[in-house]
Amino acid sequence: MTVDRELDMWREQWNSIPEPPAEFQRKVQQRIKREDRRFLLGNLLTGIAFLGMLIFAVYLRHQTSSMGPGWATGLCILVSVSAGYRVWVLRGTWRPQTQSTRAFVELWHKRVAARIRLLRISRFVSVGWLIFCAVLTAANWTTIGQDVRAHPKDWEVLLVACVLMQPVIWYWAAWLRRRKLAELNEVRKTLDELDGNSAR
Amino acid sequence: MSERRHGLEAQFERVLREYGAAISRLASSYEAVVGVREELEQEIALAIWQALSRFRGECSERTFVYRIAHNRALSHVWRRRPPNQPLEEIEEADQPIDPRPHPEEQAARADQRARLVSAIQSLPVAHRQMIALMLEGLSQAEMAEVMGITENNVAVRLNRARKMLKEALGEKP
Repeated sequence: MTVDRELDMWREQWNSIPEPPAEFQRKVQQRIKREDRRFLLGNLLTGIAFLGMLIFAVYLRHQTSSMGPGWATGLCILVSVSAGYRVWVLRGTWRPQTQSTRAFVELWHKRVAARIRLLRISRFVSVGWLIFCAVLTAANWTTIGQDVRAHPKDWEVLLVACVLMQPVIWYWAAWLRRRKLAELNEVRKTLDELDGNSAR
Repeated sequence: MSERRHGLEAQFERVLREYGAAISRLASSYEAVVGVREELEQEIALAIWQALSRFRGECSERTFVYRIAHNRALSHVWRRRPPNQPLEEIEEADQPIDPRPHPEEQAARADQRARLVSAIQSLPVAHRQMIALMLEGLSQAEMAEVMGITENNVAVRLNRARKMLKEALGEKP
């Protein structure tokens, strides 16, 4: 069998793969509408969350002790720095779909590596946030102390919740990091394949 | 609705009409399970729609569509592991009983097609992409444009990919 006949045979078999069903276009249109709605809803919820946080911060600024303003300012700085750092780390890695496969995989690699960096930093940020809260509490102990003595149960619940939340956050970050490392390995493997260094 | 949106929608419908079958074939080289493959086809179509407004004709429309399809499929392969499902799952659900004569011939053709698709799915992704683009009838220059490698490289790797496909089909290379 000549090479061309072989190719023709493969092409004939390949072209006999069933076409998408008749309702494919309709399903795609429905999906586009769904994605548009999801996009709008996502932005709306983010906007509401940010606005709610701002209102909360303004409300806390009117509290008598410096605990409220300190916490609100810290929260605003934390959110702004996190968002800024995220944008900086992930810069240049958006919308890579239309690039060539090689460029797409390179961008993918860059994006996953950036996310791993982000996760590593987030651990330090969560520890830093705890230290910040502890320092703030110690600095305002004269005001808070009275409230702690008056409502010890409330503060116990808050303390336990804060302490329990840390391992949950750390476990989640570690799980996500493991997943991202596996993805990084997979992307590297794909890059190797594209370079012609496939193990197979 | 703006005129631009109308124009984009018309262009998108035409692209789907023209490349719908190719998208389906490419998706089948990455996903064996029928239901998930349909999902992948829709994801590819969605990605094309999202990218269409930024298409300025820097490459041919065909290259543009194939690039998106393969890139989307690559992400799909990562998200969905293990990527290769047993062959029986590929064809069982989407093959209606063919009412035409010579059912044995039809069955033999379906079997050959299933073998080919399964063999392609077993290749490493770069080879899989190469073979799919070759079967779609892209020139080596177009393949180089889709993959982001040189034409010389395409020629070398195409030979390797064909050899691997023959091995996967159980033929002597």
